[in-house]
Amino acid sequence: MAKPVEKSENNQIDKLAEAPLEFVKEGSQFLNKCKKPDTKEYVKIVRAVGIGFVSVGVIGYAIKLIHIPIRYLIV
Amino acid sequence: MNTNYNNNIYPLNQLRSIMSAATPPGGQRTLQKRRQAQNAKEKQLKQTPASTRQAGHGGSSNSILKVYTDEANGLRVDPLVVLFLAVGFIFSVVALHVVAKVTGKIF
Amino acid sequence: MAGFRLIDVVKPFLPLLPEVEIPYEKVPFDDKIVYTIIAALIYIFGQVPLAGVSKDESTVKDPIYFLRGVFAAEPKTLMEFGIFPLICSGLIMQLSAALRLIKVNFKLQHDRELFQSLTKMFALLQYFVLTNIFIVSGYYGENLTIVQIGLLNVQLVGAGLVAILLSEIIDKGFGFASGNMTIETVVIATNLVSDTLGIAQIKVDEEGNTEARGSLINLFQGLRSSNKTFLGGIISSFNRDYLPNLNTTFVVLAIGAAICYLQCLRVELPIRSTKARGLNNVYPIRLLHTGALPVVFGYVLLTIIHLIAFVLIQCIARNDPSSIICKIFGHYESVNNLLYAPTFPLSLLTPPRSFANGLLSQPLTFVVFSAFMLFNAIWFASKWQAISGSSARDLAVQFKEQGITLVGHREQSVARELGKVVPVASTTGAAILTVASVGGEFLGLKGKAAAMVIGVTSAFSLLEIISVDYQQSGGQSALAQVLGAPGRF
Repeated sequence: MAKPVEKSENNQIDKLAEAPLEFVKEGSQFLNKCKKPDTKEYVKIVRAVGIGFVSVGVIGYAIKLIHIPIRYLIV
Repeated sequence: MNTNYNNNIYPLNQLRSIMSAATPPGGQRTLQKRRQAQNAKEKQLKQTPASTRQAGHGGSSNSILKVYTDEANGLRVDPLVVLFLAVGFIFSVVALHVVAKVTGKIF
Repeated sequence: MAGFRLIDVVKPFLPLLPEVEIPYEKVPFDDKIVYTIIAALIYIFGQVPLAGVSKDESTVKDPIYFLRGVFAAEPKTLMEFGIFPLICSGLIMQLSAALRLIKVNFKLQHDRELFQSLTKMFALLQYFVLTNIFIVSGYYGENLTIVQIGLLNVQLVGAGLVAILLSEIIDKGFGFASGNMTIETVVIATNLVSDTLGIAQIKVDEEGNTEARGSLINLFQGLRSSNKTFLGGIISSFNRDYLPNLNTTFVVLAIGAAICYLQCLRVELPIRSTKARGLNNVYPIRLLHTGALPVVFGYVLLTIIHLIAFVLIQCIARNDPSSIICKIFGHYESVNNLLYAPTFPLSLLTPPRSFANGLLSQPLTFVVFSAFMLFNAIWFASKWQAISGSSARDLAVQFKEQGITLVGHREQSVARELGKVVPVASTTGAAILTVASVGGEFLGLKGKAAAMVIGVTSAFSLLEIISVDYQQSGGQSALAQVLGAPGRF
């Protein structure tokens, strides 16, 4: 009974050691299969996200500006 | 539950054969039964959804964390009321500051 | 289903828990935008200084400074803990329900409601516990009076309730998809703008000289400042470490651009309709299938560890380097009179404050911190993709409902084919995203790198939902017309 258990444990250790390698291999295979964006598409997306991010940020910062007089008032 | 109940009622001839043969515990049959039970369990596990979305009611998706999907029992409030109360709460803290400053001590 | 279930604990508290009503009818697109923005703005407005904090400088500094950016938290304000409790309870509850640690039957409405209320109560409880941890630690000052303690509790737990309800409003259909992620994204965007263009003047030395918070504004001010040379102004705007500098701004922007690139990476599976001939299309599986959640999860665990350490070191051992607890876990050292930097071994899980400093004084951190984050992210991604309702099997069911199938495969084998792609995409994406955020952190960004990674990735996830919503509303949006963006999303 003892032997097979030991063997499976060994197997598990082997698997544990192999797991990162396997993971990297699968990952890089996946990356190779991936469709990469062309420059035009990329610029479009960066611009869209950039505009969205900055406009939301500016609106948020406008609210944050209210804090300056409030802090002045209460400190 | 159900299977146990069924298993207890043997047809008469089978019962007789069990009595005479007196099969020892374990063996092929129990194994098979165990496997069946495990299969049933797995199947049930597969059927019980792991998340609200898997049950088909919205909720968190692969890239979104969403907590509130159903209207639970509780103190029902309108969203507008929440917004106003939130602003009111914040202003009351500001007022607290002002009071503390005017009276010159922190309570 | 007999026996004790954790979700039943919440039953006696149900009448006390506020619950935002679900909209009676579908909220129009424009209203959703307005609700979303107002809720997020109220959250930002909530960053008001706490009342009742002792005026003298406390010796206890901020122990979680590098986690604040990620959870939209501002020190010594109402949003002291940000939305950490919300995200923590949401993620951990849903994960443990899926791993069957909590028994919930999501098919039953009653169970779902209880589970949801439990999540809310857990978040509220965290606000309460965190508040009192910080009070006991002396973070708000030593020798607080009982009134001060009461006031701090009311303020911080109340603010927590406000944050919960704001996110609930968005979750329930008055906004887009996820309140937590919306609030987080908006706050991260605001912080980015404030760190770059912020005009608030902050006192930087004893003489009363002030510098602008924003790195770009600081550069312009430095150019015509009277107390600095021209060159000195430029150099200081790149190098100052007490406020955001231009270097960090550039790194953060570069990370944002890199995330945009990663977001575009996808495997396109050819699909065809089973009903009509010749209807061919592609179904994209993104590299970042699980979005920002794996990184968020890593940071949740990191925060929990640091909070427990804070309790042990500060509340129990009083940060006394000679006590036994501090010898085991390390103690805190005050930096710039602003931050608490832990020493070895807790420093292993703390990103360095600058790259050079980290390389010299804590080289092991680079290995341990990245291993910790990577392992968590990958583990989480592999679990989450299976449970979140977008696993290969769920997608296959969706395919079947919509009458589409993968080209070259029978309907029955769709799940298996997707199963080859989806888990790999999730884990690989999680790993790459973690590398991006951890790499940025090692440059000494104090949480800004991770915040940017999470912010941009969440923005993409939300944008996807918003654009679908926009198209479903038939593009009939007055707001979009005003903004001059017809279908640009």
